[in-house]
Amino acid sequence: MKRLTLIILIAFALSLSASTLFAAETFDLVIPLPLTGKQAKFGEMMKRSYEIAAEEINAKGGIKKKKLNLSFEDSGAKPETARAIVEKLIDTKKQPLIVGEYTSSCAKAVAAVAEERKTPYLVVASADDDITRQDYKYVFRQNAVNAHYADGLVSFIKNVAKPKTMAILYESSAFGNSGADAMEKDAQKIGVKVVLKEKYEAGSVDFKPLLSKVKAARPDVIYMVSYVMDASLLMKQIKELRVDAKLFAGGAAGFAIPEFIDNAKDAAENVVTASLWCFKMKLPGAKEYAEKYKKLYGDYPSYHGASAYSALYVVKDALDRAKSWTPDGIRDALKATNISTAFAAIKFENKEGYQNQNFMDTIVMQVVKGEHECVYPDNVANQKYVFPIPTWRERR
Amino acid sequence: MKIINLAHGELMMVAMYIAYVLFSSFHIDPYLSILIAAPALFGLGVLLQKYLINPVLKVEAIIPENQVILTVGIGMVLANIATIIFSSDYKTTPVEYATKAWYLSDYWRESPIELSLSMPWSVSFCVALVITASLWFFLTKTDMGKSIRATAQDKDAALLMGVNVERMRVFTFGLGSALVGSAGCLFIPIYYLYPDLGGQFTLIAFVITILGGLGSTVGAIVGGLILGVFESLTATYAGMGWAPVGRFMIFVAALIFVPGGIMSLFKKWKLGK
Repeated sequence: MKRLTLIILIAFALSLSASTLFAAETFDLVIPLPLTGKQAKFGEMMKRSYEIAAEEINAKGGIKKKKLNLSFEDSGAKPETARAIVEKLIDTKKQPLIVGEYTSSCAKAVAAVAEERKTPYLVVASADDDITRQDYKYVFRQNAVNAHYADGLVSFIKNVAKPKTMAILYESSAFGNSGADAMEKDAQKIGVKVVLKEKYEAGSVDFKPLLSKVKAARPDVIYMVSYVMDASLLMKQIKELRVDAKLFAGGAAGFAIPEFIDNAKDAAENVVTASLWCFKMKLPGAKEYAEKYKKLYGDYPSYHGASAYSALYVVKDALDRAKSWTPDGIRDALKATNISTAFAAIKFENKEGYQNQNFMDTIVMQVVKGEHECVYPDNVANQKYVFPIPTWRERR
Repeated sequence: MKIINLAHGELMMVAMYIAYVLFSSFHIDPYLSILIAAPALFGLGVLLQKYLINPVLKVEAIIPENQVILTVGIGMVLANIATIIFSSDYKTTPVEYATKAWYLSDYWRESPIELSLSMPWSVSFCVALVITASLWFFLTKTDMGKSIRATAQDKDAALLMGVNVERMRVFTFGLGSALVGSAGCLFIPIYYLYPDLGGQFTLIAFVITILGGLGSTVGAIVGGLILGVFESLTATYAGMGWAPVGRFMIFVAALIFVPGGIMSLFKKWKLGK
């Protein structure tokens, strides 16, 4: 018995020394993500994109000659879990910076932990405005906030569609609420009257009561803020009820990914959506990353993936410049970031009440002949937009 | 049978995955896959009842309703097996008629009202009616149906009358699973599919059962109709965000004012006459 204990002890000591040996050569980064539950789809895409970026970085010699070693922890899109993961990472693993998460509610929880423990946190794809509006010094966000998510789309509505009225439908979540509020403000700014603003419960089966109301209000534009399956159900039922409008617009998320077209089929045709990124847009590096992803996983990524992919380049850039790899050293380096990535140009600014927020140009995508095309603004567009759109009766 | 099954939604999820696999690999229409999914679910239900629920029922436990907890566990296991096999991606069966609908204005140009009937919803409704009618016929007119009802009403008396109570229980659970299996096949062209889908529908089913009266078939139909109409009305006049509030208001109201469900009211009125 004693001998067995001894052997175990020796083995344990050996493994400990082995791991410390390797640690000198690698930089370990654990990324919290939703890999199960309703948001797992996006989590999976981001995980793959982080892996592609890490591989590229390591192939080019890593970060300051250290190999970037990624691993992932599943938060299941639950704020409590995300919080616990990050507390563990900072307190016991002493990870000097946090990257990741997807849903806004999780990112909010993580941001609070990171700020409290003075560890920089790079938000990758969470859009809720509040995350970078709380005077946090350690929270950085590279994707556009909800209030600016639809900037491109708003200018498209103003300059191309020129409507008088609008209806806003949104899911009752942090993401849906802030997206709808932002669009309401923008609509007022460009002189469009919001005739209906209604929320629904995500995962609903029957949207017909809601859509009957929309039909009665006869808005020129119907703007929807939804995740993927609600988005396609909404468009399907809009087609069924023949709710006509000059423009059907979606606020990214559910409308911007290819599954939307796969599921809604012909009901998706001509729907425009705000997006941050499209693999077809004219931006250096975007096409290369998208093709690599497609080769490995069989389909093209959406902006979530592109943002995750670029996040590691932002991290690499900051770590390269950081005077020390302590939380504060990395924070100062992140603050001075000014690079262009396959996702967007990234620079963290304090303005309009936001802190450490990247203000990027957003684009408009439209479903044309069953495919997402980048149609606006003209300098990155790969195709001309379709407007005006035919009514449902004409489309038969 | 005095068995509360909280894995009902998960059983529907299993049937939907069967329909999905049949559609994506063999191009079998979801409506036709009822013929395969319902018997498969019957088998699954029989196995669950025979080897999991019946043994638990026999054991004297501290918690009298430990069978309820067992079904919750079964539901979790099913959901997680589905996650392992199919991943948690959303799946759909993109059938061609998914957005097909009939419009009154297409047949009658100057119709004063706009009316449309969605094809998949109508088909589901009609098939559901047929299934409900045959279930009612089975339970009231056949020998086996009568034995099932006898077992449900009084297990011991049924046993004395020569009913094989154990077998009836197993068969009933199988039948319930087969029914929810066909519901899954009818539902998949309208909705979509992911492993955690069961919970929200178990919840609705539970509210309906309490509303209608535990253990009553007619009560379930009436309860379902009341809940559906009530939810539609709240969604239209109070906003869709309020629909779940309406659902649970009616649930709480049913528990407080008609603890026996709608069926108990019916019985009371009949006695009053």
